[in-house]
Amino acid sequence: MLNEPKCRIVSALGLALGKLESSEGKFAWPKQRNKRFKEPEMWSSSLLLCLLLQNGTTPLVQDLLARIEALEKRVAELEQEKKTAAAAPAAEPVTPPQTPPASAGGHQAGAATIPQEGGLPEYPSLHMTGFTDLNFSASDQRGTHSGFNEGQFTLHFVSALSPKVNFFGEVSLTARPDAGIGSPAPPGFNAEVERSIVRFDQSDRFKVSFGRYHTPINWWNTAYHHGQWLQTTVSRPEMIQFGGSFLPVHFVGALVEGSVPAGSLNLNYNVGLGNGRSSALSRAGDAGDVNNNRAWLANLSVRPDKLYGLQIGGAVYHDRLNLTSVQNFKEWITSGHIVWNRENPEIIAEFSNVTHKDYSGILATANSQAFYVQSAYRLPFNARVWKPYYRFEYIHIPRSDVPFRNVPNLSGSVLGMRYDLSEFAALKFEYRRQRRAPGEPSVNVGFIQTSFTF
Amino acid sequence: MSRTRRHFTRFLFLAGFLLSHTRVPLHARQAPSRDIAVVINSNVPVDNLTFVELRRVVLGDKQYWETNLRVTLLLRAPVARERDIVLQKVYEMTESQFRQYWIGKVFRAEVAAGPKIVNSTDASIGLLSSVPGSIAFIDSAQVPKNFKILRIDGKLPGQDGYPLR
Repeated sequence: MLNEPKCRIVSALGLALGKLESSEGKFAWPKQRNKRFKEPEMWSSSLLLCLLLQNGTTPLVQDLLARIEALEKRVAELEQEKKTAAAAPAAEPVTPPQTPPASAGGHQAGAATIPQEGGLPEYPSLHMTGFTDLNFSASDQRGTHSGFNEGQFTLHFVSALSPKVNFFGEVSLTARPDAGIGSPAPPGFNAEVERSIVRFDQSDRFKVSFGRYHTPINWWNTAYHHGQWLQTTVSRPEMIQFGGSFLPVHFVGALVEGSVPAGSLNLNYNVGLGNGRSSALSRAGDAGDVNNNRAWLANLSVRPDKLYGLQIGGAVYHDRLNLTSVQNFKEWITSGHIVWNRENPEIIAEFSNVTHKDYSGILATANSQAFYVQSAYRLPFNARVWKPYYRFEYIHIPRSDVPFRNVPNLSGSVLGMRYDLSEFAALKFEYRRQRRAPGEPSVNVGFIQTSFTF
Repeated sequence: MSRTRRHFTRFLFLAGFLLSHTRVPLHARQAPSRDIAVVINSNVPVDNLTFVELRRVVLGDKQYWETNLRVTLLLRAPVARERDIVLQKVYEMTESQFRQYWIGKVFRAEVAAGPKIVNSTDASIGLLSSVPGSIAFIDSAQVPKNFKILRIDGKLPGQDGYPLR
C-alpha cells in the first residue's frame, strides 16, 4: 500500500515540476527558462529526492509532513464547521469574544451563562426548540378511516433569568377532529400550555420550582414529554397517553428536586405539592383545585455509576378525587420503573398501581394496574440508522373501579422500526395489535410517522 | 507523450514504490499522540475528580461545584480530537447520540443549556480565563502554564493509566 501523505508529496512535487514546463513542452527551472532540463540531471535529482523521502529523517521532510497533517486537519475542521452550521445551528461553533459560543443542547445558538462582553452574562436569554410529527395510519377497526394526520406541533422555551433561575415552557397545538363543526365553530387546533416552570437552583442537591409540570410519577411522561422525535416509538404507552385518565399527566403546583451522589448510586428525588386532578380526570387543576386537599407526590430514582445507562426508580402520588358532590375517592398511585437507555439495547419497563378508596365506605376499594415493557436495539456499523423495537403493554381495570369506569382495558403489542433520516429527523414504521377485553376481536393498526426537531 | 514526461512518470512510480516500502512508518515520525487535559477555571476549588465524577459533569448531572458555582462545560466542535476523545471515553456516545442526549436533557428541563461549543484551543483558553466555573478539554501540550489541570483518578496527563488518551 502506498503511504498517502508521502504520495501526496510526490504528487505535489510532480505538479510543481509540471508547472515548470515551458510553453515548448520542455521542463525548465524558473530562472533558467531558456535552458533545457537535462535528463541525467533529472534522474539524479529524482534519486536524491527519493532517498530523502525514503529516509524520512530529514527535518525538512518531517516539517512538510507535519504541515500537511496540520493543514488537512484544519481543512477538515473548517468543512465540518460549515456543514454543521448549515445542518445544525445547535452546534454552530462561534469564536469568542465577539459572540458567545453555541450550545449543544437544543438549537439555541448561545447561552445565558456565557459572558457576552467583559465577562458579563446577559439575562434573560430566550431559546426555542420545536418538535412536530406527521402520521399516516390504517386500521381494520370498524368505523375508522385510514389517512394522514398532523401530530402535535410543540414549541419548547428555555430562558435563563439569572445564573440560578431558569424558565422552561412548552406549548402545543393539537389538531381537532371537530374543527369547524357546531356553533360557534371550533378552530382547527387546540392550543395548550403543557409546561410552564420557573426554577431556582440552590445547588445540585436542592432546586425549587413552581408551575405546571408533567407529573414525575412515570418515567416516560418526564423523559419524552411532547417530543415525539425523542422517543423510539410512534406512540406513547397507553397508560400515560395524552388525554388519558389512568395516570395524571399534568400537575400544577410546586416541586423540590435534587440529586446527591449517595456513594456511587446517584440518588435523585422529587417531592411535589399541588392541585390534584379536576373532576374530568384527564385534566389537571389548572384554574384551581376542585377541593381543599392538595395532591402530593414523591419520587426517588438511582443511576449507579457502575452501571452507566441504568436508572431504577419509584414514585407515590396521593390525591382526593371529587367526581361529583357525593362521589369522593382517595387515590393512591404507586409506580416503579427500570430503564437501560444505552440503545444497544434500550429497555424500558414501567408499572403502576392505582388504588381508589371510597370515602363514604360504601364501595369496595379498587386496584387498577398497568405496565409496559419496551425493548429496542440500535443496529451496529452502517446500519446504525435503523432501530427495531417491540413493546408489550397491559392495562387492567376492575369493574369495581368507579373513577376508571371509562378507562378501557388493554392487552397489546407494538412492533416497529425507527429509521433516522438525519440527526434531527426520524421515520418510524409501526404495527400495533390490541385487544380490549378477553373474547373481543383484536384490532390491527399500521402507522408511518415522520417526526423531527427544529 | 514526450520523452521527458515518460521519464517523469517513471520517476513518480519509483518514488511511490520506494515510499510504500519505507521501513519507518509515517505515524512513527509524527509527534506521539498527546493526552487530553481537563482544565478548569482557577477559581474552582477542585484539584482531582474521579472518572465517574467527571462523567457526571460532562453529562450535566453535576451542574454545580462544591461552592455552588455553576459548571460551564466547554467542548470543542466536531472533528476536533479533544471532542472525539471525550465522546468516546467519557460519554461513550456517537455524535448523534450526544446531540440527542443534550436536546432531551434541555427538553426535560434538567438543564437550561448544553455544553458551550468552541472551535479552537485558543477559544477554550480564553473562556476558561473569563468564565467562572468553566471546565474544558485541551491537548495537554497546549495548556498554558498558569492554568489548573485536574487530576483524574489521581493521575495527570502523561501518567500511566490516565483515562483521556
